[in-house]
Amino acid sequence: MLSRLIYYYFRLIDHELSSAVMADALFDKYGGFKFVSRIVLSFYDKVLDSDQVGDHFDGIDMPRLIDHQTKFIASLLGGPISYSDERLKRAHASLNLTHDDFDEVRRLLSETLADHGIEPQDVETVMAEIEARRSSILSDDAS
Amino acid sequence: MSITAINEQLLRAIGVGIAIVRCEDLQILFTNAPFSEWFGTPGLDATLPEILQDIVVDDIKAALHQEGRYAGELSIKRKRRTLIIALSISSASADAQDFYVVECQNITRIRELESMIDSYSTMVERNTRELEREKERVERLLLNLMPRTVYEEFKTFGVVTPQLYESVSVVMLDFVDFTRFAAEHDPTVTLGELNDIFTAFDRIAEQYGCERIKTIGDAYLAVAGMPEPSPDHARAVANCAVRFIRYLERRNQSHQYKWQARIGLGTGSAVGSVVGIQKYVYDVFGSAVNLASRLQGFANPMCIVAPDAMKEFLVDEFQLVDLGKQEIRSFGEIRLMRVSPGIELARKARQF
Repeated sequence: MLSRLIYYYFRLIDHELSSAVMADALFDKYGGFKFVSRIVLSFYDKVLDSDQVGDHFDGIDMPRLIDHQTKFIASLLGGPISYSDERLKRAHASLNLTHDDFDEVRRLLSETLADHGIEPQDVETVMAEIEARRSSILSDDAS
Repeated sequence: MSITAINEQLLRAIGVGIAIVRCEDLQILFTNAPFSEWFGTPGLDATLPEILQDIVVDDIKAALHQEGRYAGELSIKRKRRTLIIALSISSASADAQDFYVVECQNITRIRELESMIDSYSTMVERNTRELEREKERVERLLLNLMPRTVYEEFKTFGVVTPQLYESVSVVMLDFVDFTRFAAEHDPTVTLGELNDIFTAFDRIAEQYGCERIKTIGDAYLAVAGMPEPSPDHARAVANCAVRFIRYLERRNQSHQYKWQARIGLGTGSAVGSVVGIQKYVYDVFGSAVNLASRLQGFANPMCIVAPDAMKEFLVDEFQLVDLGKQEIRSFGEIRLMRVSPGIELARKARQF
């Protein structure tokens, strides 16, 4: 226990905690923020352009939507943030999303990741991550 | 093709939105494709304020007058997306007529990127703060295991070199009948008692310039004069010792369990080092430690025994009672003395 702590401590000193703790985080594997930023922007475009879900995001101002998507995608990829389910619930509560909406966004994200050269098994991992959040993103009575 | 025709072709081809406006009535004379795409194709008599509804003509005129150029921003809605257009207006004249040249650039992407960078830096900054806090927690924990100077060496070089301190003093305390108490009570009670008392001892030790090295069961070991050398090490341990006793006396008056302790003081040389690779423990070894340990065993309950060698340092401040020469295992015959609070301290003790 103590030696682990000391080990962590020295990783901390080297600012390597994230890689020490999440050695296989996709976020790091694909080159961190400079890579994820491209994914976020493509995803943002796709979501807004989508006729199925775009309207849900119509009235939301750009900085807020970008902020949310940056954090959400970073957290899905194991980046330097974790989005609690509670927070996801609150962010989506007023949108009244349906299962179809969710599936569409899921599809768009999967497409975006593939477009940016994320390996298929890693796309699967992210899809499993987002699937695990379905109940938080959708309202309880989603159709 | 004439120069004018080439110029017009150029204006049409570039990605920047361009409109040319006549100064006197603000009528739009020319727009290129990007401009029309963002703001629509103006009708024949359309004026600039009709097309760019959010602009204030007086502001533009004032800026052009003062700085020769107007810069502003407009947002327009295209499908679900809000586009942000940077507007730059400058004056030009040709054929004795004055014009405004309106340049528009789509800076939506830049704004989106800025938002993303903001979002990300907030994330990273918060993370850095959390790491910082975590680092402090670990550091505090390590500082509980070793003195700060030793910790600094450990942090910088990854090892701690054993270091000999020629002149240190040691205070060693042990409880009377601890084994019996431990056998008769629930372990949590024993632990609670030790924790309470040792926490108080730690405070006292810190206040009087001693460093607690370890506790072994019910034994408490603190040193003075290492790792930072101090000329006052003998007085420091004696000051701790008399306050340990006083603390126990006071505590016994109000607590259910009464504790009696024996204290031995020692002085001499000691080596300090971190022992072990996986389990880091800072420990001290040497004659000062051994002597304190022996004398602690020799002391009567609630008494402090010290070697006569410490006399010159303690005589001013403490009450010393000669115990004569005593045979101490592995040290042979040495002269000992009992240490108790001096007059001044005893007087203060009565006040509280």
